Amino acid sequence: MRMNETEKELIAMVLSGCVEAFEPLVTPYRGPLLALASRLTGDREEALDVVQEALLRAYRSLRTFDATRPFRNWLFQIAANEARDRGRRRGRERVAFKDVVDRAAAPDGPEAGHDRRELRANIMSSLAALSPREREVFVLRDLEELDVRETSRVLGCSSLSVRVHLSAARRKLREVLRRDLPHPEDRR
Amino acid sequence: MMCRRVRKLIPLAAGDDLRPGDGARFLAHIERCPACRKELEAFGADLAGIRAAARDEGVADWSEGEWRAVVARVAAEAKRSAPGRGASPSPERRLSWAVAATAGALFGLVIMGVLIKGTPLRRPVSSGPTIAAGPSRPEQDRVTITMVSPESGLQVVWILDKNFDWKGDHE
Repeated sequence: MRMNETEKELIAMVLSGCVEAFEPLVTPYRGPLLALASRLTGDREEALDVVQEALLRAYRSLRTFDATRPFRNWLFQIAANEARDRGRRRGRERVAFKDVVDRAAAPDGPEAGHDRRELRANIMSSLAALSPREREVFVLRDLEELDVRETSRVLGCSSLSVRVHLSAARRKLREVLRRDLPHPEDRR
Repeated sequence: MMCRRVRKLIPLAAGDDLRPGDGARFLAHIERCPACRKELEAFGADLAGIRAAARDEGVADWSEGEWRAVVARVAAEAKRSAPGRGASPSPERRLSWAVAATAGALFGLVIMGVLIKGTPLRRPVSSGPTIAAGPSRPEQDRVTITMVSPESGLQVVWILDKNFDWKGDHE
């Protein structure tokens, strides 16, 4: 995904002092940014804060943006960094997903079948099984559909590291979903 | 490539994320190993299901109020600083920097004053060429050169005036 001409023009306008051009520049990404932040933090309110701070950072450092990269990925990079910083500062990553983990570990009751169906539809809850880095890699590669190289750029790590964490993330998620939601073929 | 190695690569292969170097050997093994092929297909189906479910799940979008609040905050930030130059320092921060700079300048001036005051001024005693100078020393008008023989211990002293004219000697 290359940066389009409109984005280039809007960036030039913002850099020349036209603040109003910033909103149309980032509006196309408001949904994807919120989705990314929500999946990384596990909490919508925190995700709103993450995106707000990320947009402010993007505005402040717009002059450093490398125009050869997709603008969306640059915004993702800032948002992922902000989410990670907040997670480290507050230690909330574990808290945010704690109830999900507890649910997954709870013994089966009469409502277990219903709970399982809910969990099946809720991929975000299943992300609780992943480490923060695995979650970042999985969300960027599999849900936001960045390729391995761009994922590594966004996260500031090597492609090898992305592949290692991506492999682990997919394996773990598959295990979680299979444990909680037996595959139709397995039940035959 | 052995089955064990192929099984490790299946999570990546299912998403078409193998390294280029691994792809050909992986595919060659999959072609001839039905068990690994089945495992790859099953993993691929599960991954596709996860991705599809994530797309269906979605995340609640911003309310217009939330979005307007963010945009307003960026606009407010813009009034304080130009893009790319970072946020301008707060007034408190600017004041503290000014105080620190003033204190540093004062300290520097004091140190310079002490250094200058503590250094003795060297004033010339006379305008003509002299061998020694200074108010506490009498003007030197004689130079003596002493020579000692290491074998006999004999000492010879030459006496010269201030113009290096020979004035005599003694042993």
